[in-house]
Amino acid sequence: MFESFSIVVFLGTAIRLAVPLVIAALGESITERSGVLNIGIEGSIIAGALCASLAALEWSSIFLGMVFGAIGGGLVAMVFAVFVLGLNADQIIAGTATTMAGLGFTGAIYQARFAATGSVITLPVLRSFEIPYLGEVPILGPIFFQQSITVYFVYLLVPTLWYFLFRTSWGLELRSVGEDPAVAEESGISILFVRFLAIMFGGLLAGLAGAHLALDSGTFIENMSGGRGFIAIAIVVLGRWNPVSIAGAAIFFGAASALQFLFQSSGSDLPFPLFLMLPYLLTLIALSGWFGRTKAPRSLALPWPSKSR
Amino acid sequence: MSRVSERGTILGNAVSKIKRVISVVLLFTMACSDARNEDPLSESEFSGFRVALLTSGPVSDAGWYGSAYEGIQLIEKTFGARISHQQTSTPAEFDEALRAYAVSGYRLIFAHGFEYQDAAIRVGEQFPEVTIIVSSGGRVSENVIPLIFELEEGSYIAGVVASRITKTGIVGMVGGVSTPPAEATFTGFEAGAKSVNPDVEVLVNWIGSWDDVAMAKEAAVTLIRRGVDVLIHNTDAASFGVFQAVREARDSGEEVWAMGMNRDQNDVVPEVILGSAVIRIPEAFLRLAKLWKEGKLPSGEAYYAGGQSGAADYVVNPSLAGKYKPELMAEIDSIRLGIIDGLIAVPRIDFLERVEGSF
Repeated sequence: MFESFSIVVFLGTAIRLAVPLVIAALGESITERSGVLNIGIEGSIIAGALCASLAALEWSSIFLGMVFGAIGGGLVAMVFAVFVLGLNADQIIAGTATTMAGLGFTGAIYQARFAATGSVITLPVLRSFEIPYLGEVPILGPIFFQQSITVYFVYLLVPTLWYFLFRTSWGLELRSVGEDPAVAEESGISILFVRFLAIMFGGLLAGLAGAHLALDSGTFIENMSGGRGFIAIAIVVLGRWNPVSIAGAAIFFGAASALQFLFQSSGSDLPFPLFLMLPYLLTLIALSGWFGRTKAPRSLALPWPSKSR
Repeated sequence: MSRVSERGTILGNAVSKIKRVISVVLLFTMACSDARNEDPLSESEFSGFRVALLTSGPVSDAGWYGSAYEGIQLIEKTFGARISHQQTSTPAEFDEALRAYAVSGYRLIFAHGFEYQDAAIRVGEQFPEVTIIVSSGGRVSENVIPLIFELEEGSYIAGVVASRITKTGIVGMVGGVSTPPAEATFTGFEAGAKSVNPDVEVLVNWIGSWDDVAMAKEAAVTLIRRGVDVLIHNTDAASFGVFQAVREARDSGEEVWAMGMNRDQNDVVPEVILGSAVIRIPEAFLRLAKLWKEGKLPSGEAYYAGGQSGAADYVVNPSLAGKYKPELMAEIDSIRLGIIDGLIAVPRIDFLERVEGSF
């Protein structure tokens, strides 16, 4: 059953399904490193998908679709930031509201713009292209180096973010804000400014993830984010706030879906939803701290300035 | 390169969207006011023919839900009925939404999906004067009437066509959530495919969602890589992902075809869709509304909408008609007649359950 062609198909599918997850999760990990838990990124993803679709439709350009998708996701994150940082609102409630508002507004705009009962928008699509030399490597080439531009973007983003977080002073400042904002403030860091930038970065990347969804499938439909914002939050936990392991965790989630397709189409009688459950099970185990200490930023989801003061 | 195909006027829909938002707000106000002690249905306030629609997905899917919305629009146009639509997002809202319509004078409610069947039975018991039509429902009571679309008939013909067209001998299906009505269409497709060639292989991938277009696309890619060259689906908006996968495979030189389902999707991607297994939801809704108005709607039994009434069929994509050999066209016609006359037995999954307590 697992002849080499299947492995190539399976891993290629796993990577494609993982791309929007990993982009959104990397953004969310930066937000969470600053001590803010943004569960509104589902709203940013769907807004990114809609903005990318409108822009790509208007100018027939993938690139502008990507840019406007990121901006759309950023705008939604800004609304979240206003509530959480400006009004010191509860992060969980503000995030839930952001997600619901994002899904609702995009649906309303889409229906107003493209007829209520059905219109199919056809967008320019992301094409996969081969990286010279690397793409010709047997098995690995077709899996990793015959993909679309967003996949290559992830290859660059993961090491960059890792370097930023653990090897630069800005990364250190960001982490200190998430660990102990009181101490960070005493050393002269503006907590709200750092958190604002972190939320915006998370929103831009979530918007980009949405843009990928729309431009990869060549269309926009309501609710097409399909809960990926929440899966991304689980991936951040499973990847323990480290960009490299987040990428691995996202591929694991993608692989679970890809594996169920492979098993189903092989006519196997195995209950395929079991594979879909596996990554969530591992996330729970990760939360329980069974493999090593889970390193959630210590002040994650706590208000600032702290309400007790 | 980019293209928009639109059905219906944009402005009209924006207005109707606003109207719907207002009507939902009004409904909630009404639902919240204490309606238990006095009869809220004083005729002056709630006069006229009112028809409501509940869907659990967006009506902008150009498919299952969109057709239902067209159905109540058709009822509005034909009978001058007041119509209202609400999208419910969680099962917890099913009862409330049905009850809200029932207390606001809506005597005919279309609950468009299998998932509403239990809520419909519960609310139907409380409001015996209200008729609830549950599309693809599995439970019957005196005033809860399942509307069974015999989509498996069109799917059976699609299976025959797929079997005749395939060159690899492998055909495939991408499904949304494996509910009994959805399974029935695939059973029909498989039976049709094997009726003309018992050796044809039929592969299936369920994605666990009706509108996750990215998952549908990857499920389709997996099937195509396994050698499937004719691909049918039973999803809602996720179908665009299936068509996109087929289009991309064709762009890279493979000869792969797609088939539409639920509604005539031939013009969605005209260059890759061979034909569609359709149910004519708007017409079926209109016929039911007419029967209901005339008091002729049989209570306590399911209403079947199949090939006999023209409500279920297979529609050849006119722009790809050249891909059908004349013998195949003739075969389609004779199978269609055979199904109507009962000479060809399309396998059906019977999932009706009678609720005796409410008779």
